[in-house]
Amino acid sequence: MQAEAAAHVPALEAHWGGGAAPFGATWQKTMMWIFIVTDGLLFSGLLSGYGFLRHVSPVPWPRQSEVFSIPFIALMTFILITSSMTMGTAVTAARLGDRKRALNNLVFTIVGGLCFLGCQAYEWSHLIHEGARLTGNPWGPPQFTQAFFVLTGFHGSHVFSGLVILIITAIRTSMGKTPAQGIEMAGLYWHFVDLVWVFIFTLFYLL
Amino acid sequence: MSNATANPYRIYRVTWIILLIITVAMLAAEAFHLPRIFLIVFLLAFMMVKATMIGGNFMHLRYEKPSLALMVAAGILVTSLILYSFISREFRYIAERLSQ
Repeated sequence: MQAEAAAHVPALEAHWGGGAAPFGATWQKTMMWIFIVTDGLLFSGLLSGYGFLRHVSPVPWPRQSEVFSIPFIALMTFILITSSMTMGTAVTAARLGDRKRALNNLVFTIVGGLCFLGCQAYEWSHLIHEGARLTGNPWGPPQFTQAFFVLTGFHGSHVFSGLVILIITAIRTSMGKTPAQGIEMAGLYWHFVDLVWVFIFTLFYLL
Repeated sequence: MSNATANPYRIYRVTWIILLIITVAMLAAEAFHLPRIFLIVFLLAFMMVKATMIGGNFMHLRYEKPSLALMVAAGILVTSLILYSFISREFRYIAERLSQ
């Protein structure tokens, strides 16, 4: 048993002792994944907090379909999923050296992101016009709009920063300055934004 | 020659279509007012399928080394469990205070 354990040590050192890529990925990609996990934990905390507020609310939680236009939220979901598809296409095109296709799909992704942010701005202004505030709302517990503004606000800020990254990446790609890996990193972040929306859409808007 | 080699973009279109179909199914489940417990199980199951498809196909986790996928899954899982246990304890405490 001890001999077996001792035999593992050189193998572990070869992988984790430095100068190697234990995850089989470049350091940029590994760091991007670590960033995504930590950012995911932020949303995990926010969603858990939302669940907590909802469970302890002494006032019944409003029915979402009576507050939001669910078809409109579905449209926002469609836009974000579609932009993720074009982003994936851009990453693969960049890897294959098809710069024109990569750039076109980056532009489609940016348009999708702008449409999503426009929809979110419309939804916010519509709800604020109807009386939604951080301190209260006409539909029930104030925690409802608090959770709404915090969750969608944080997500929207991620979409916005993703758009800034994508615009810079697209400009640099048009000049031939972004390597394929640069587009892949931007893509990972954009897909993460889509991934977070899957959870917000289900847990906040549907359940 | 595999399909992926023949058309490397196909995976994204197929994933996109499946994600849209799942989204429509989730909306239909909400609209048809399924019993609450069925709705919760149905929506959570489809949410996890969507998340797995985005992580695996769009973010290419299925092509990475298992150690990378494990790091991502373990990080999220462990912290979610910690948060859940923290919140459930807090919830019990506040629920007790409210009932007094």
